[in-house]
Amino acid sequence: MFLKSTFSPIFTAIPTRIKPPKHSRAVITDAAIQPSLQTVRQNASTDTAANPSSLLLVHKLPPTSAYIHLPFCRKRCHYCDFPIIALGSSSSSSTTTTNSDCDDPRILNYVETLCREMKATKLSSDPNPPLETVFFGGGTPSLVPPKLVSLVLDTLSSKFGLCANAEISMEMDPGTFDGVKMKRLLELGVNRVSLGVQAFQEELLKACGRAHGVKEIHEAVEIVKSCGVENWSVDLISSLPHQTPDMWEESLKLAIQIQPTHVSVYDLQVEQGTKFETLYTPGEFPLPSENQSAEFYKIASRMLRDAGYDHYEISSYCKKGYQCKHNLTYWKNKSFYGFGLGSASFVGGVRFSRPRRLKDYMCYVQNLEDGLLDCSEDSFTDYKDLAVDVVMLSLRTARGLDLKSFGEAFGGSLLLSICEVYGPYVESGHMTCSDEKGRNITSDEFSFLLSDEHKMNKVVGFLRLSDPDGFLLSNELISLAFGVISP
Amino acid sequence: MSSLYRASKALKLCRAAPTAFSSNYYTTRLSSTSYLDSILGWTQSAFFATHSSQNVKPSIDLCQYASDRIRNFSIIAHVDHGKSTLADRLLELTGTIRKGHGQPQYLDKLQVERERGITVKAQTATMFHKHNFLGTDTEFLLNLVDTPGHVDFSYEVSRSLAACQGALLVVDAAQGVQAQTVANFYLAFESNLTIIPVINKIDQPTADPDRIKAQLKSMFDLDPSEALLTSAKTGQGLEQVLPSVIERIPPPPGKSNSPLRMLLLDAYYDEYKGVICHVAVVDGALRKGEKISSAGTGQSYEVLDVGIMHPELTPTGVLLTGQVGYIVSGMRSTKEARVGDTLYHTRSTVEPLPGFKPAKHMVFSGLYPADGSDFEALNHAIERLTCNDASVSVTKESSSALGMGFRCGFLGLLHMDVFHQRLEQEYGAHVISTVPTVPYIFEYADGSKKHIHNPATLPSNPKQRVTACWEPTVLATIIIPSEYVGSVITLCSERRGEQLEYSFIDSQRAFMKYRLPLREIVVDFYNELKSITSGYASFDYEDADYQASDLVKLDILLNGQPVDAMATIVHRLKAQRVGRELVEKLKKFIDRQMFEITIQAAIGSKVIARETVSAMRKNVLAKCYGGDVTRKRKLLEKQKEGKKRMKRVGSVDIPQEAFNELLKVS
Repeated sequence: MFLKSTFSPIFTAIPTRIKPPKHSRAVITDAAIQPSLQTVRQNASTDTAANPSSLLLVHKLPPTSAYIHLPFCRKRCHYCDFPIIALGSSSSSSTTTTNSDCDDPRILNYVETLCREMKATKLSSDPNPPLETVFFGGGTPSLVPPKLVSLVLDTLSSKFGLCANAEISMEMDPGTFDGVKMKRLLELGVNRVSLGVQAFQEELLKACGRAHGVKEIHEAVEIVKSCGVENWSVDLISSLPHQTPDMWEESLKLAIQIQPTHVSVYDLQVEQGTKFETLYTPGEFPLPSENQSAEFYKIASRMLRDAGYDHYEISSYCKKGYQCKHNLTYWKNKSFYGFGLGSASFVGGVRFSRPRRLKDYMCYVQNLEDGLLDCSEDSFTDYKDLAVDVVMLSLRTARGLDLKSFGEAFGGSLLLSICEVYGPYVESGHMTCSDEKGRNITSDEFSFLLSDEHKMNKVVGFLRLSDPDGFLLSNELISLAFGVISP
Repeated sequence: MSSLYRASKALKLCRAAPTAFSSNYYTTRLSSTSYLDSILGWTQSAFFATHSSQNVKPSIDLCQYASDRIRNFSIIAHVDHGKSTLADRLLELTGTIRKGHGQPQYLDKLQVERERGITVKAQTATMFHKHNFLGTDTEFLLNLVDTPGHVDFSYEVSRSLAACQGALLVVDAAQGVQAQTVANFYLAFESNLTIIPVINKIDQPTADPDRIKAQLKSMFDLDPSEALLTSAKTGQGLEQVLPSVIERIPPPPGKSNSPLRMLLLDAYYDEYKGVICHVAVVDGALRKGEKISSAGTGQSYEVLDVGIMHPELTPTGVLLTGQVGYIVSGMRSTKEARVGDTLYHTRSTVEPLPGFKPAKHMVFSGLYPADGSDFEALNHAIERLTCNDASVSVTKESSSALGMGFRCGFLGLLHMDVFHQRLEQEYGAHVISTVPTVPYIFEYADGSKKHIHNPATLPSNPKQRVTACWEPTVLATIIIPSEYVGSVITLCSERRGEQLEYSFIDSQRAFMKYRLPLREIVVDFYNELKSITSGYASFDYEDADYQASDLVKLDILLNGQPVDAMATIVHRLKAQRVGRELVEKLKKFIDRQMFEITIQAAIGSKVIARETVSAMRKNVLAKCYGGDVTRKRKLLEKQKEGKKRMKRVGSVDIPQEAFNELLKVS
């Protein structure tokens, strides 16, 4: 009854042939490498298949990461297009852990379904490696009562196993937790906090439709610090409407001052269907122009690096040793579980996104339990797709594309074609190149190597986007490789 | 008995025509081009309503119709003055097509035929009409040779008129004489045709036949008492039309006892029958099975089928002096059928008929596959299409920006548009077309002359000094309500026009004649004219001589590299303005890229306009949230696809729209 009045009553049937995640029992055999795709990896050495770190295999290994979607928010932020469930102001009481009577039945219901989904997920590898990272994303996971978080972690642990030193991250919003709740979560095993600060200016927070103010940010930081959370991140958004360079510098300065071990800087995307979309046009006032926006990115890169943060991925900075391990799973194209509304998983080489609407998701879980979903493993690997993913994901990182592994997996000639298309951009400084030991390769050396496939394969170690110019044009640059791999 | 025998023979002939012309065949072609209908009107259809239907028709014995019982006439009119409706009514009146419930279906078929036959212009329908002539009821054979209305096809009009001895000059009773009326009148007049003025649409509330009669008198010296007043819509006055045709228009003058001479009026390709030629028998007679030769090519053919358009192909086995009909002769391609050629009996000797001037290609443009790899597909599509539209000239060319493509010559802009549209709609070809150009002549210091159909082929920094250049001109007729005279004069002088004549048709309408460089009207003149006259201007032109002109080649350069497909030839005085416009336009369509792009317009090495597209600063999707890789990937795939549709010059990606937009700059 409650559900009915809250959520869209329209029932959308789930396609019957959804392929749920299921990972491979067998380590890749030759049969898995389709002969028709040999063209892409024609020069790949045959012993690659035996190398477990091969790019051809890594995504087929059983997952050791899980993403858990906790979709509840007090209200929807104006820029947000994630699958969330807005609870309204009534549940602000869940900030504290004490009055558990006030637990919202919507949350309880959801978490129960979530746990059912985890339980119904089939394991195909035996023994199953325990999880090394868990990420609670949302939504605002910090709105979920700790005892329900505990339920989720228990379920995960009993189903998949959980390493003793697993990284367990949780996105938390200022104003949604107090010291008691924070402590509770730490006791449960949460050991990394991603604090959704977004901006340090009252007017900007308001304009984004955030449910907290600057005061709550400082309180939240205080709680995190006093509870002794060692590994925590501050999330910021650049290019907000009416945001000036001064404001942006102020936000960065304040973020640096509170000394998180990690900072994520997201550039605002005006997404379809959001309130921002109806209000603003990218590049037009009050949104910053393309030039200003690029400037914001550069300011962040400069200030954070000057403050000792390592710009290890397009939008991520960290103090040494504090990379988000869970996110590295994504950039390395490793497999991961996904549970909950709208979440994406990558298991056994299959990417799958769950329904974004609660009703559809519930139905999906039911079908999963009833075994109605086609569980047959997609043993077919499209090597072009794989190569495209590898390039796209690894070029997001400062480490860049590991050319050696790429060449081994997909063939020297494809590697050479990619290097060729990037030649002008190494010259223009949008990309940089280094040998295996990290020594920089100049553009002259690089263009010389282009004429010698063999040498290229031997000498060149990594190709990466430069910071900040290359990162800023990452879409352009990455799509060039797309054109080479699957024209 | 003999008539029965003939009937069965005719029946066999009908059957011999493939019965596969089922509706299936037509429906596959049922796309598009409805706007063309209004331009070319009924004209396409009658001739093309070709195939013998399966209903057995009584065979027609043409032998009853000696040339004194034949009248060949056409209907000429300005667009929308009611030519198509009048033609339909005449066909109904003579029972050639059925009125009432049968007609919609007939028209359906016509529509399909219109799709097909857009560029085959001379259409004919044969009608039979009983008339009390010189005191006796006599059956006449009337050939209605219809003509297209649009200026691009005035060449086709004169072609059609060559088979006629008279013409109905249809004028709208409210709108009066318009530019095409004038142009078509003179074509008919110069062909020595008897002209019967028909003031049509007299049922309109604004009809003013007396004013129109006065116009006809002052413009063409036509006797007002000779004008027929009709309404093809209501049927009023229609009964006078055919009697006037029979009584006023002379019979065809040919000699029936002379050796056969036929004028090849037109040809088109039929997928089932092969080449179908449309002929007028000037002298002598033609029978099925006879051998004929072409005076133009020397080739000989056997006449496999001969007949009339009634309005569908109706085999008669014979065509006699003065008659107009079709022949099927086993030609393999329409290229063998030279329009204007004389056909005669093999082994006879005849003096070839005067024939026509070959079609003049007024507008040239490059056609390139939008996706470079589609060259073969485009090649195939163009080959197929030119089978039915021999008036397009096609030569291969290549461009550094666009790859392999074709340089096509067209009769005019509409013709070019139609051709593009058909390529896209009927053959699924995606094309980029370059800025249309007109044929120029350049003369160099060493006396050599170069004909330029593609500006890119004109050297930007020639070794030899250019001593003279010539450009084609047209004689334009413009008729407008007098209040617009001022703005039209301004427009024409902006377009380097020279006024030749300026008079008034009556108190409200001005008549002007201009000599205009063809280049100036090729792009947007007509639209501009329409817009400054609130749509009241009527415009027509005929091609005229070349005139000496101070022309320069205008190059467009991207980051210093000339884009061959964007080069254009302009008058020196306009180069600055055109250059600036082109550069500004391009700036709008070229997206920022990773490098700064300079866009320049240059004459030789002198840059006359310049714009800069600054480098793209940012194109990054920061979040890749919760590992949702698929979404980001889709975005990048889209970006890749976008790039694929671009044409690359040096390091610069040019979107296809940029090429098409440049067409709109004069």
